[in-house]
Amino acid sequence: MRDAKVTTHSTAAIGGRQGVRPRLSVIVPLYNEQESIRPLYAAIVQALGDIGCSFEMVFVDDGSSDDTATIARQIARFDSRLRLVKFRRNYGQTPAMAAGIEHAHGEILITMDGDLQNDPADIALLLEQIEAGYDIVVGWRHNRQDKLVTRKIPSRIANWLIGKVTGVPIKDNGCSLKAFRADLIKSIPLYSEMHRFIPAMASIAGPRVAQIRVRHHARRYGQSKYGLSRIYKVLLDLMVIKTVTTFASRPLRWFAILSLPLLAAATVLFGHTFMTLMTQRSAVSIPLAGSGIIFLASAMILLFAGALAELVYFRGDLREREFVRLTQRIRRASLHRPPAASTSRS
Amino acid sequence: MTLMPQSPTLPSISVIVPVCGRRDDLRDLYLQYKQGLAMIELPHEFVFVIDGERSDAATTLTELQQAGEDITVVSLTRSFGESAALMAGFERAKGEVILTLPAHHQVQPQDICKLVAALGSSDMAIGYRSPRHGGWFERARRNSFHRLVNFVTGVRLRDLGCGARAMRRQVLEEIDLYGDQHRFLAILANRLGFRVSEVALRQSPLDRRKRMYRPREYARQLLDLFSIFFLVRFTKRPLRFFGMLGAGTFGIGALLTAYLCVQRLAFDEKLSDRPALLLAALLVVLGVQVFALGLLAELMIFTHARGMKDYRVEEVIQYPEENEPLPSAAMPTTDGDINQQMQRGTPPAIA
Repeated sequence: MRDAKVTTHSTAAIGGRQGVRPRLSVIVPLYNEQESIRPLYAAIVQALGDIGCSFEMVFVDDGSSDDTATIARQIARFDSRLRLVKFRRNYGQTPAMAAGIEHAHGEILITMDGDLQNDPADIALLLEQIEAGYDIVVGWRHNRQDKLVTRKIPSRIANWLIGKVTGVPIKDNGCSLKAFRADLIKSIPLYSEMHRFIPAMASIAGPRVAQIRVRHHARRYGQSKYGLSRIYKVLLDLMVIKTVTTFASRPLRWFAILSLPLLAAATVLFGHTFMTLMTQRSAVSIPLAGSGIIFLASAMILLFAGALAELVYFRGDLREREFVRLTQRIRRASLHRPPAASTSRS
Repeated sequence: MTLMPQSPTLPSISVIVPVCGRRDDLRDLYLQYKQGLAMIELPHEFVFVIDGERSDAATTLTELQQAGEDITVVSLTRSFGESAALMAGFERAKGEVILTLPAHHQVQPQDICKLVAALGSSDMAIGYRSPRHGGWFERARRNSFHRLVNFVTGVRLRDLGCGARAMRRQVLEEIDLYGDQHRFLAILANRLGFRVSEVALRQSPLDRRKRMYRPREYARQLLDLFSIFFLVRFTKRPLRFFGMLGAGTFGIGALLTAYLCVQRLAFDEKLSDRPALLLAALLVVLGVQVFALGLLAELMIFTHARGMKDYRVEEVIQYPEENEPLPSAAMPTTDGDINQQMQRGTPPAIA
């Protein structure tokens, strides 16, 4: 069960051998995709061969229990452009995506699903948009081949909500086929179950986002690995995204906003108590006055939590100016004005 | 029963014995362990870590050293706890296999070789005492505790209190133990993707005499459980935990408030002489606070997320262009752990 014939290379080694870093990296997380992996590889190679730029593929084996890793290894043996990142166990799609992004060396990163539902032929379309000056290009499965009730309708509602909350109106966050400028996406923290929200998370950097229609095929092999996700998870995730993307650098303001309803309740209750005292019509209501005190105290604690959050940001390793730098450079470099149709700017 | 897998270099074994609160006569214990280890024909070393002022243990070990026994003794200035002691011992350990053994008679020393043998098919082996002595209450308590741990972490283990564990060096290299986490070493290793196996060890007859648990220990165990629960399940998504709790509390409070308002407005019942409103307000406020704590935790994770990776890469595979059958020099990758594996010449195990 041991394979010693394993080679690992650093960026330097690969760069040294091929001279330059590849233009494109195609990142595919794979989890139990033993049937899909060969056709997928063939389709990618063909599609990218047509484009004609240098590329590499990063396959991430997310602890598959079937032969995915073995098959990928066989392919890697014949194609030095394939890098296989093998997880020790199953970690989920977001870590797989994050590992793929980390191990990719290309200037432009393309992510796609390993289940053949995305069409590698669409990569050319994404690339076109990146070359037109966009930082992120998101695929939009406008003719989606999935079940209506369990997959399409919940995702439509979720997409609408995500658009409202984050201000990045993307019609299809769930589509894995996306293209990123490498330096930008590598600076975005990706963790937990964020892969659905990459464009929303990336909005912290203020990128130019384009979305284009891509083809979507029905599953050919295997089972769909994602069912109807729980509503509460999406709602909580949205709350997180709002918090971290908009208020990470000014948390006190966010906590102050959250404490407003409590302050309002306290004001009403105190006002009532005050009026009672003034008019002397009846005795002061202890529960009402007490509730007022509770609300006021809570609002204060929230504000202190906000202050604590300021400290957290101060001690953290994330700075908005990095993102500012990234986007600044883009604006200077981009000579073309992006086409107005079917695009959205955030 | 097979011993270690045939690898080019025979791994040597480092035995770490953290000498903490509970301990028996170390001379006797050491001789027994030594005898048990003699059954494995591999070179080994002993590292004793004395956690704080324990003059009796220090004296015994010094005597042993003077008698010519080859043991390393690490003395800590104050009591840092067993996890810190283990890590201190590990820093001194040179072996490829790390064996931790308790400082009291817990398992039959003849069975230690089974632990090491189990490493042939796994990265870490933890012992469980079987047959285990104890009354029905103890058994029920242990059972429910381990069942809870299983529920919380998804790892079914039988005896987390067993101090006899064997592991590959890499396991301790990747785990940063602190506080009271030594008890959950197997679970943490499992989280990192190491294969953990359990090995039945006979309980030492001397282990049966003493009662280990006092009420304080039960409370501590519950706290341990809570901390491991949080560490394992919600480190990367604190709002999933705090948010559920907060929203639940808030919901109950809001319902109660609504009920009271309806009573007041529609049925003209007085609120003044009832404290129910206070309770409702408290619940609402508590809910908001817990939720806010969750958001705060999320901000913490977010601002540190790039530094902490929540996945472990076993290997990065890429073949050079010319289809060379033999690997060229292993180069450092972005992952330090692989690099270390390659340098030491032990290929990572393939599950």
